[in-house]
Amino acid sequence: MSAIDRLRAQAEAVFARHGVPAPRLEHWKYTDIRRVVAPFIDHASPAASAEQGGVPNPLRDLDAYRVTFVDGRLVDGDTLPDGVRVRSLAAVLAEARGEEASRLLAVDERAPLFNGLVALNAARACDGLVIDVADGVCVQKPLYVLHWGAVGAAHPRHWIRLGRHAELTLIEHYLSDQEQAGLTNGVTRLELGAGAHARHVRLQQEARRRVHIGRLEARQARASSLVSHSIALGGAWSRVDIACTLADEAARCRLDGLYLLAGRQHADHHTEIEHGAPFGVSREMYRGVLDGRARAVFNGRIVVREGAVKTDSAQRNANLLLSDRAEVDTKPELEIYNDDVQCAHGATVGQLDAQQLFYLRARGLSEEQARQLLTFAFADEVLAGIKPPEVRRYVERAAFGKLPQAGDIASMLQQAGGAA
Amino acid sequence: MLKIENLHVRVEDKDILKGINLEVRAGEVHAIMGPNGSGKSTLSNVIAGRPGYTVTEGRILYQGRDLLRLTPEERVWEGIFLAFQYPVEIPGVNNTYLLKAGVNARRRHQGLPELDAMDFMRLVREKAKLVELDPSFLARGVNEGFSGGEKKRNEIFQMAVLEPTLALLDETDSGLDIDALRIVAHGVNQLRSPERAMVLVTHYQRLLDYIEPDVVHVLADGRILKTGDAALAKELETRGYDWVRKEAGI
Repeated sequence: MSAIDRLRAQAEAVFARHGVPAPRLEHWKYTDIRRVVAPFIDHASPAASAEQGGVPNPLRDLDAYRVTFVDGRLVDGDTLPDGVRVRSLAAVLAEARGEEASRLLAVDERAPLFNGLVALNAARACDGLVIDVADGVCVQKPLYVLHWGAVGAAHPRHWIRLGRHAELTLIEHYLSDQEQAGLTNGVTRLELGAGAHARHVRLQQEARRRVHIGRLEARQARASSLVSHSIALGGAWSRVDIACTLADEAARCRLDGLYLLAGRQHADHHTEIEHGAPFGVSREMYRGVLDGRARAVFNGRIVVREGAVKTDSAQRNANLLLSDRAEVDTKPELEIYNDDVQCAHGATVGQLDAQQLFYLRARGLSEEQARQLLTFAFADEVLAGIKPPEVRRYVERAAFGKLPQAGDIASMLQQAGGAA
Repeated sequence: MLKIENLHVRVEDKDILKGINLEVRAGEVHAIMGPNGSGKSTLSNVIAGRPGYTVTEGRILYQGRDLLRLTPEERVWEGIFLAFQYPVEIPGVNNTYLLKAGVNARRRHQGLPELDAMDFMRLVREKAKLVELDPSFLARGVNEGFSGGEKKRNEIFQMAVLEPTLALLDETDSGLDIDALRIVAHGVNQLRSPERAMVLVTHYQRLLDYIEPDVVHVLADGRILKTGDAALAKELETRGYDWVRKEAGI
């Protein structure tokens, strides 16, 4: 048995022990995905298809390095500049060097927000990106990774390391075939060297018949910074877990997210930020807009370790319910083991503000226009932080472009991104 | 221009207005004064169409048409403007862009061509000067982070840009220091014209030192108890409201 096979078998055994998370687990109590995920658990990933018929090509105006995955397999990719080493996980594993394989496939059951699906990813991942950005290299253009789900299950697994003072923007865009049901179960790991800066955007626009499970793990060295945007627009069920460890002094992270749901869509966001060292700064802003019978869960856990003095942390979650039948469960969890910290948190669930609506109408906007404008402005506070601006505009269009007056509405926004 | 006949209004099962009769003609400035809780703000809100007010009796005619059948935005398009007592903050919505949308919605309604960005900005700069509004406010979110006085000035600025036929100013003087009051009053006076009518709702006579009304009404207990000229306001300032009540037999 090769080292790889052994690691895979171990991961498979961990998955067998944990299984698909069930509502008896605290962090899964609102979300029972066992039934919807079951058909895809024993579904072997299809062989990479040579032809990429049906794979869309969105964000064409974005100046970026592009990589495309179909059903979890790398099918196409640009060459990155000097100082950036990009390999496919499949190729790395084929070379099967024990130590590196173990780094890439090991399963840590003690990791924050660990669950059976994390092990399943390690067991079944057939491809992903293994990226090393050398010290001091700032990758000027974003790395745009399109994940296309054609059919069945995909378990992409990306392992990314930024050297000291390196910079990278990674955009993960998830789309899938409208006609097909399927499962995405991805894990992305970021290791940031001292002073490194990473931006991560997850843009989840999968089809209404698909289940999306995404995990972002970040480990940050001294004075590094991470900005993450998780945008959930699609999918029948989606769950994003973000575990961020500020392992050394003065590391900062900003975790922002927006979920925009309708019909019977369900979206979970669970974040865990561990302040493990002094002078760490964390900021979190998650917003949700729910219509129809949609359901959302936000759980934000902040852990401040004993030695993490002068921690500065703020978390906000705000939700807008556009229908009586939509539902949100929001829960901050603070665990603080020293006195010398500032931690603020707040969560709200509400409807559009009647005073604001009347004010806008009293300035000549129609009721429908006023409603759309307030909804759009609420969501756009999250989107305003997305860079580059082409991505922000794309998200605005994706989120609001279907509204009949999207153009007029966008033109009234404070930092007009100019949607539609 | 505005004719209110026997208007009865209920808010949450409570009768607030109990038979208001009022006529405002083009070119006139009316002041509606009265003690707190008399129904002054209810009257301006009903004219502007704020939801939550039930008209149980009577009617409001505006330019000969039944005003109560129009939505709040249709009233704006027909030339009615309400300067709010408590202007709300709307973060993320740009002050100027909102106003442009409002102006152009009204122009579409009137069958006029929309203003382009250049013409609109020219209009906005000219009107901002009128109320001495710092141009940096134009780029901010609607009332976002404005002081009380800045919010009121922004209301008058919006009024100047929308060029209403009938302007309702609800307690515009409340919370203003003397400089802001002077500036707001100057703005209002500049907008007086033979085609335009204004209704000032106020608790104090102070505003009327700067804006001289043609007609003054005393509103108390949901009714107009007395109507007079500018001298009535002065009398109220010295004698208070009780004598009006007594005179009316309440």
